Amino acid sequence: MSIIIHPRPSPIAAAMYMLRDLDADVIVLHGPSGCCFGPARLLEKEGVKIVTTALSDNELVFGGEGRLSKVLKRVDELFNPHLIGVVGTCASMIIGENLKKAAIEAGVIEKCLCCSVHSGSGDNTVGAIEVLKEATNAGLITQDEYERQKYMLEMAALVERRRGTARSEYIGNCQGDDPNMVARQILRTLRDGGDVACILNAKKETAFIYADTLLALSDAKKGKSGNLRFIANLDPNVGLPRIRSYSKEILRELSCKGIFIERITGGLDEYPVSGERATEYIMEVKPDLAIILGIPHAVAVEGKIRTVAVSSGTRATYNLKSLGYDYVINERHAHRASLGNRRICKSILGESIRMVSREDKG
Amino acid sequence: MKSVAIYGKGGIGKSTLASNIAAALGEMGLKILLVGCDPKSDSATNILGKKIDPLLELMKIDKNPAPESFLFQGINGVHCVEIGGPEPGVGCAGRGLILGIGYLLQKLKIESFDFVIFDVPADIVCGGLAVVVKEKYAEGVIIVTSDEFMSIYAANNICRGLASIKAAACGIIYNKATSKGMRYIEEFSKRIGIPIIGSVPYSEELIFADKKRKTSIEIFHDSEVSRAIRSISISIFNNKQAKVPNWLSIKELEEIFGENP
Ligand SMILES: Nc1ncnc2c1ncn2[C@@H]1O[C@H](COP(=O)(O)OP(=O)(O)OP(=O)(O)O)[C@@H](O)[C@H]1O
Ligand code: SF4
Ligand SMILES: [Mg+2]
Repeated sequence: MSIIIHPRPSPIAAAMYMLRDLDADVIVLHGPSGCCFGPARLLEKEGVKIVTTALSDNELVFGGEGRLSKVLKRVDELFNPHLIGVVGTCASMIIGENLKKAAIEAGVIEKCLCCSVHSGSGDNTVGAIEVLKEATNAGLITQDEYERQKYMLEMAALVERRRGTARSEYIGNCQGDDPNMVARQILRTLRDGGDVACILNAKKETAFIYADTLLALSDAKKGKSGNLRFIANLDPNVGLPRIRSYSKEILRELSCKGIFIERITGGLDEYPVSGERATEYIMEVKPDLAIILGIPHAVAVEGKIRTVAVSSGTRATYNLKSLGYDYVINERHAHRASLGNRRICKSILGESIRMVSREDKG
Repeated sequence: MKSVAIYGKGGIGKSTLASNIAAALGEMGLKILLVGCDPKSDSATNILGKKIDPLLELMKIDKNPAPESFLFQGINGVHCVEIGGPEPGVGCAGRGLILGIGYLLQKLKIESFDFVIFDVPADIVCGGLAVVVKEKYAEGVIIVTSDEFMSIYAANNICRGLASIKAAACGIIYNKATSKGMRYIEEFSKRIGIPIIGSVPYSEELIFADKKRKTSIEIFHDSEVSRAIRSISISIFNNKQAKVPNWLSIKELEEIFGENP
């Protein structure tokens, strides 16, 4: 069978995340109240108000544009938003609802970005691209920026299909390696005078978690003869203002701790392409150990260099193991914990490195 | 046969025939239920002489409407329900049918009727609209067609739909029949493997009765058309056979008409 049968991320959720990146104040899901409940709750941690039109059988049969109009008016009164994202769902898109028509009806079209996607629209990136297209039409981003982001999202989908969790019919789940064991391997390499490259290749806000490993490593390196180099996709001049601000903040915190990034591979929304740049660089410097954080499968050095891959989720972990990365850590809170948070925060691998380092000293 | 669904090209005469067949069977003392499945809600008009509130409209206000609010008795004791549905171009009529019929069958003791007729929208364009036959609410399909190419073309599409969901048809009613056209219908019937139940001539009485919101059975009791409909009704009621139809390629359809379509 050529279809993928394990659960996949939804274009609806991707559209909501992109609307958050564009600083939408409210997102209206035109669909059942339970649609995308998980992502909706997570995004609320970011301060975005999320509401639904609570479609039920009545609206599916008789149409729900009137309901959407009412909800949009209500949202406008309640929250006085500058930017409202309106996102379709399977329920409303299958019955051919017109989101823009409802926004015009409600008199709020000027502040609305309407995104007619649903869970069956294709890759999740389709949802993000649709939002960007509307944002471009509304003059919120430039045509060049649209083209750049669209290219990145298409590349991301390609990387997913080639090497990510979309690469085969079914991908299982796995908990990954023991972080303490992996931390010991890393510190031993440094102690033995080895060359360790730490590559941050993260997606947007998740960088706040993965960057913690950079802090921990830099501390643990002290007094060890090995070499430690940092490579990161933290270009502060790429992407939407919100995404740039993430890079700026992380770079600031890192430099406070005296950490210098040897090679900046791109911005935080460029992980498919920055991954390729990181790959090239690693193959040039040929370290003894490469620790790849975020989206490791975009950094294809497994089998050539000894690797530690750090990502989030048991399915991603299983995938990285089966691709052949030597050690794989499931940074299982990376997604959840990075939302609603604008500082580097403690990570599983970072904490293990700190603990093992203390053990070594004590 | 205890229940049938009437399918055929838009405007071919499904509702007219459904109400007349219901009236004819009711006249014989049978307990008949006519279920209008078209969002237009025009199936029961000839039986009741007026429009009634469709079930789905009632369900919008009260999730659990009582049968008295949607089930009405008219000429010759025929019981009628209109399922209803959205305005053209909005919502989803198929979903409506799934919900409405589901509710109806839950509320009515369907076994208490001698015969149930479902008058369905013209085309089986989606899974929802096919629910009547897919879920076997109707044991068999009656295909209504005239001898016009487009009407037979639509009938063939219906056969195709039925074949794909493995639903059975029990017969063809040749409507607006002429002596010249019979051979086309006979050939079509042979090729799809479904018998002709009978034919109804083109009839000004039917049109007039429709305008008066009556059945011809009622107001032109002994006319040729009423007699034809009575005979067809008895055949349908007594029919015990139904099978999944074959369907034809465009080329085969054209062959039926030979040189002069
Ligand atoms: N045998 C006939 N002779 C003359 N007129 C007929 C005959 N049968 C039906 N009609 C007329 O054809 C018109 C359409 O009929 P009807 O509404 O029953 O079609 P329908 O198939 O139910 O249409 P729809 O697909 O829109 O539901 C009506 O005006 C009706 O009176
Ligand atoms: S099927 Fe589609 S509309 Fe329904 S809950 Fe799932 S994502 Fe939402
Ligand atoms: Mg009709």
